[in-house]
Amino acid sequence: MNTLLKIEGLSKAFGGLAALESINLKVVPSEIVGIIGPNGAGKTTLFNCITSLYYPSQGEIHFRGIPIAPRKSEKKETLVRRCALIFFFLALIWVPLFWSAFLPQTYFQFEMLLAGLFLFAIQVFLVRGLRKLEIWAWGLMLVFLINDLIFSLWWLIYPHENLLLTGTEISAGFLAIPWTIATLPFSAYFLWQLFQKPVRQLFGFRVGPDAVCRAGVSRTFQNIRLFFNMSVLDNVKTGFHVRLKAGVLGALLRTRFQRKEETLAEEEALNCLRFVGLEKKAFDMAGALAYGEQRCLEIARALASKPRLILLDEPAAGMNPRESARMTELILKIRLNGIAVLIIEHDMKVMMNLADRIYVLDYGKLISEGTPDEIRSDPKVIEAYLGKA
Amino acid sequence: MIARDSDKLRNVYLISGLMLFVLLLPWIPMGTSSNYVLRIITTAILYMILALGLNIVPGFTGLLDLGYVGFYGIGAYTSGLLTIHYDLSLWVILPLAALNGALWGILLGLPTLRLTGDYFAIVTFGFSELVVLMLRNELWLTRGPMGLPGIAPPSIFGHALVHGWEFYYLILFLLLVVLFAVTRLEGSRLGRAWFAIREDEIAAQCCGINLIRYKVTAFAISASIGAMGGAFFARWFLFIHPDMFKFWESILILCLIVFGGMGSITGTMLGALILIPLSEILRIVLPQELFNARFLIYGLILVLMMRLRPEGLIPFERSRAAKALKKKKKADIARGEGTL
Repeated sequence: MNTLLKIEGLSKAFGGLAALESINLKVVPSEIVGIIGPNGAGKTTLFNCITSLYYPSQGEIHFRGIPIAPRKSEKKETLVRRCALIFFFLALIWVPLFWSAFLPQTYFQFEMLLAGLFLFAIQVFLVRGLRKLEIWAWGLMLVFLINDLIFSLWWLIYPHENLLLTGTEISAGFLAIPWTIATLPFSAYFLWQLFQKPVRQLFGFRVGPDAVCRAGVSRTFQNIRLFFNMSVLDNVKTGFHVRLKAGVLGALLRTRFQRKEETLAEEEALNCLRFVGLEKKAFDMAGALAYGEQRCLEIARALASKPRLILLDEPAAGMNPRESARMTELILKIRLNGIAVLIIEHDMKVMMNLADRIYVLDYGKLISEGTPDEIRSDPKVIEAYLGKA
Repeated sequence: MIARDSDKLRNVYLISGLMLFVLLLPWIPMGTSSNYVLRIITTAILYMILALGLNIVPGFTGLLDLGYVGFYGIGAYTSGLLTIHYDLSLWVILPLAALNGALWGILLGLPTLRLTGDYFAIVTFGFSELVVLMLRNELWLTRGPMGLPGIAPPSIFGHALVHGWEFYYLILFLLLVVLFAVTRLEGSRLGRAWFAIREDEIAAQCCGINLIRYKVTAFAISASIGAMGGAFFARWFLFIHPDMFKFWESILILCLIVFGGMGSITGTMLGALILIPLSEILRIVLPQELFNARFLIYGLILVLMMRLRPEGLIPFERSRAAKALKKKKKADIARGEGTL
């Protein structure tokens, strides 16, 4: 069977603390997979990595072949470091050029020299950041490269005759032409490289939670995150966001396409609400719902984007036995619709009834996996939960 | 059933009466003070437009924007300069000013909207100060502290507007256009995305909303409405000066929104309609030597407001609830098994 979600060697560290360590996990279509573990085991961190709220320190996550967190490329890393060095040498020549370009015209010669030196200092700092693959360096680099491109083009086009008259200009003239020849292709090449996907990924440009949602993963949260001041129906319609297309113009002109989309969204949202049994409360404020209903609403909102995989973070937390039985029923119903479920739960009764397979996390490590029966009798799991005898 | 019908009828009477009053306002005999009153009302409506524009950023999207007046100034100077140098018609200038405002909104928003909360507010504050500095110092473009006098009034079909009532109808028309745009945006997919960002950024992201994109859109639309207000202001006041676009104006517009109810359209309009003429009313009521204390009264009103009704005159939540209720009356929810 083809896999839906594949996680390989996933690690996430916050400073020195390793929240997750080389996790391997797999979900196949319409399967219910449980994740259990004591508090602080890294279950929610795992969810945040999957939905791209965190960028993993190491490892890969693929969803239906789409890389959510791809492998970092060593080759590109050395390429960027080399380019940064070349940029640094070009910048060394750039300062006198910058200075002399302004010299004959300006009254503020000293200030211009200072400005040139200041810019050079920024560039040195930038190269350092670039070699460490910091994200701010990436953005600043774009600005400087575009600046270099414009500057070198200007040197090519500018009439040089009158510039070569004064003493400082002669050196500038000698520097300018080789600098231009070196900079033009280099800047273009480096710009091109920076916009390539593997290089962007080096700087921790993640896919982003919105893109993950569009790919077909949606989630609920441990502490309920609803849009409390909006109506229940609007909450679910917000979940539909990725399936609608209307933009600013469509909204202003209220085109027929946009109206059709809105009515469709409304019908489907009501459908989702019926699915979780909240249709009677469709026009109430979300903040006015009871706790259990809010949990259901969160699930309805997650279902609205037509996901292939839904991540439920403790859906039955704080519920009484009857409510959690209804939740179990609901989750089984979700699976019947061909949606895979990845679920974190503390309530063992719910988990044993639901899950096809269970992964057990402890202190960021995967200590066991298997069917509920296997997990129940695994001595390592018992030790993690109850401690050593 | 009967009660609801009579309710509806009463609403119809109320709204049509209000509209009639608004339309006939310039013709109500007020003697010599007629022009004065009209001017104040026109100012109030201008501020209604500005408040509606600003409302999109802190009200809908939940970002504190202290630099709104910068866009107002950009619009005013765009309009003034285009009129003086190229003698363009107001109907050409309005969209141009809006585009210019949107451009600066996007330029400011793209790098800074990654900041959160207070940091973003400080950046926008800096932006508005920058605009004033630029207007004051770039003599070749804006004439700096000498201001920009001699802007021609707009003309419609070759007839130059001079009377107060003509400007009154013009701004009323502009208000209707802006109101129309804002209500449509509020009820659309875009508006929902904004509200979602305001309520919970992380949940909004996980619903597939691209934060930066929607924040920048909100910022650009808000900026373009502000610039349009500025464009009208330049053609109406016929003189603009950098000091008119100082930080205080931003705070004033923000006050209108907070007073009326952040995020609710009727609320912000009501806020402007009450607070702007209040200054003139105080001028009449207060003795001459106390007139400069009127800002204290503004402060007092806001403090009282925060104490008694912190969510504003017409709160956002209640207006949303009313809207949902209206929808409920139309929709009938047949029970049945839901499918996905």
